[in-house]
Amino acid sequence: MAILEEAAPPVEIPARTPVERLRRILVYLLLFGVAFLFFIPFFWSVSTSLKTLTESVQGFDLLPDNPSLKAYREALTSFNFARYTANSAFLAVTITFANLVLASLGGYAFARLRFPGREALFMLVLATLMIPDQLRLVPVFQMLTNWGLVATYQGYILIKLILAENLFLMRQYFLTIPKDFEEAAKLDGAGYFKTYRKVMLPLAGPALAAVTILTFQGIWNEFFWPLIILQDESKYTLPVGISNFVGIYNTQWPELMAASVIAIVPVALIFLVFQRYFIAGIAAAGVKG
Amino acid sequence: MAVEATTGGRLESARSARVKEAFVGYGFVLVPMGVFLVFFIFPILYAVYISFHDWGVLGKVSTVGLDNYSLLLEDDLFWRAIKNTLYYTAGVVPVQVALGLFMAVIVNNAIRFRTFFRAAFYFPSLASSAAITAIAIYILNADGLVNAVTGSNQPWLGDSDTALESIMGLNAWTTSGTIMLFYLAALQAIPTDVYEAAAIDGAGAWRTFWKITFPLLKPGHFFVLVLSIIGSLKVFDQAFIVSGGSGGPNYSTLTAVVYLYQTAIQDVDFGYAAAMGVALFALIFTATLIQRLLFGKAEIS
Repeated sequence: MAILEEAAPPVEIPARTPVERLRRILVYLLLFGVAFLFFIPFFWSVSTSLKTLTESVQGFDLLPDNPSLKAYREALTSFNFARYTANSAFLAVTITFANLVLASLGGYAFARLRFPGREALFMLVLATLMIPDQLRLVPVFQMLTNWGLVATYQGYILIKLILAENLFLMRQYFLTIPKDFEEAAKLDGAGYFKTYRKVMLPLAGPALAAVTILTFQGIWNEFFWPLIILQDESKYTLPVGISNFVGIYNTQWPELMAASVIAIVPVALIFLVFQRYFIAGIAAAGVKG
Repeated sequence: MAVEATTGGRLESARSARVKEAFVGYGFVLVPMGVFLVFFIFPILYAVYISFHDWGVLGKVSTVGLDNYSLLLEDDLFWRAIKNTLYYTAGVVPVQVALGLFMAVIVNNAIRFRTFFRAAFYFPSLASSAAITAIAIYILNADGLVNAVTGSNQPWLGDSDTALESIMGLNAWTTSGTIMLFYLAALQAIPTDVYEAAAIDGAGAWRTFWKITFPLLKPGHFFVLVLSIIGSLKVFDQAFIVSGGSGGPNYSTLTAVVYLYQTAIQDVDFGYAAAMGVALFALIFTATLIQRLLFGKAEIS
C-alpha cells in the first residue's frame, strides 16, 4: 500500500466561489505553516552544526556566517562519533542481513511446508510480539551476563537475530503468491531450498525491501537495548553516543548537532528513496503492538 | 526425489516425502524458534522466578517470596514513576491522536504537494529519538531558540515544573506521524460513494467529517488509541536522555521504565527490578490484549 506516494485520485472540488478560494488559501497557509514548524528544528540543527561554538550561542541567525565542517570533524574524531557511526552501521547491516535470511526461510516454511505443530509454533511467533522489552530486561540481561555477552556486539546481535514482525511479514507475503510457480519447479525436480531460492525469493521483492528498510531503521535508531547491552564506550551506537555526549558536554552545541545530523541523515535518505516500502511495511506490521 | 518410483513403492515414497518436508520445515524455522524461546518465552518465567528472590549481580542471594512485590507497593519512587507515566500517557495520547487524525484528514484531500506534506508530517516519526531529543535539548535550553522567539528565559527541561510537559509536547509531535499513517489507511478504506451522497445532500465539510468520516473510522480509532497508549506507557528514550538517566530534576521525568532501568542496571537489584518488570508487563499486557481481542486480524493491512 503506497499511502505516502499516490493513492486514490484526488477528488477535485468542482465550484470555486471567492469564499472557497479564500478558504483554500488559508488551508495552504496552515499546511505550510505546520510543515515549516516540523522542519525548523531539523533545519536549525543543521545550521548550528555548521557554526562555531561562539556563533552558536551568540545570536539566532538562521544561516551560519562562515559555514564550516569543523564541528563534524571534531565530533567524528575528538568525540569518537566516527566509531559510534561505524558501530551503528555494522550492527544495522549485520542484523538486517540475518533478518532477511531467517525471516524469508522461516516465512517460507510457515507459509508452504507442512510439518506437525506448525500452527502452534506460529502462534508462538505471534505471542512474542506481545512480550514487552520491560519484562525481558532483567532475565535477558542476566542470561547475557552469564554467557559473557554483555558489552559485546554478539550479545546485541543475538537478541535481534530475528524479529517476529519480520517473520510474520514474510509469511503473509508468501501466502499471497500463487502456488503455480512452485508446482512448476517441483515438476522440474527442484528441492525445497532450491524452490525457496530460485522461485520464492525472486517473487518476494517488495516484502524483502520492507524488511530491509524497517529493520535497518529500527536498529539504527534503537536506544534501549544498545544502552543496556553495549556498556563499553568502544561499542556505543550513535544514539547511545549522543546520550552520553549530552550528559558530559551539554553545551557543545555545534558538535552535538553535527552528531544528531549524522544520526538522522541515513534514515532520511533511505526514506526519500524508498518511501512506499516504509508505508507498506508499517501497514503490514500494524498487527504489532 | 524419487520420480521413477514404481507403483508398489509409491505409498512408501509419499510417506518419506512427507517426512522429508517436515524435516526441512523444522530446519527452516529452527533458528527463529530458538531465538524466540530463549529470549522471549523463557524470560517470562525467568523474570517471575527472579522476582521471588533477592538477586544481585552474581545471581540468587536468598528466596524472599512476595517481598519484592510488597516492597513495590510501599515504594514512593515507584508510585511517583507510575504517576508520571500515567500523567504522560493521559496528556500525550489525546494530542497525538487528534494531531494524527487532523493531519491524515488534511493530506487525504485533493491538495497540491500532497506527497510532500505527507512526507514532512511523517518524517519526525522515523528519525532517531536520541537525535531528536538532542535537538530538543538545544532548542529548549534557557538560551535556546524557543526562548528567543517567545522572549522568555525558562529552562524548559531543567525545571521540574516544565520538564515532563516539554517531553510530552516533543513526543506528541514527533510520533503523531505514525498515527497519521494508520488513519490515512483507514480513511482510504472508506468508499467514496458515501461522500458523494453527502455532497448531494448539500452537507458541508465540517458536517461531513463529524457525521460520516469520524463514525466510519471507528475501527481505526480503537486501533490507534491502543497503539498510542501502549507506546506512551513505555516512554523511556527522551526522559532518560533529557535527565542523563536520573529522571530529574526532582524526579519530574522519572518514568516507569526509567526507574526500572535504574533499579536493574544502575543499582543491580535484579529481584526488585524483575518484580517491577512483571508489574509493568501486567499493565502493558492488558492494553495489548485489549488491542488483540478487538483487532485480532490486521485491520490496517
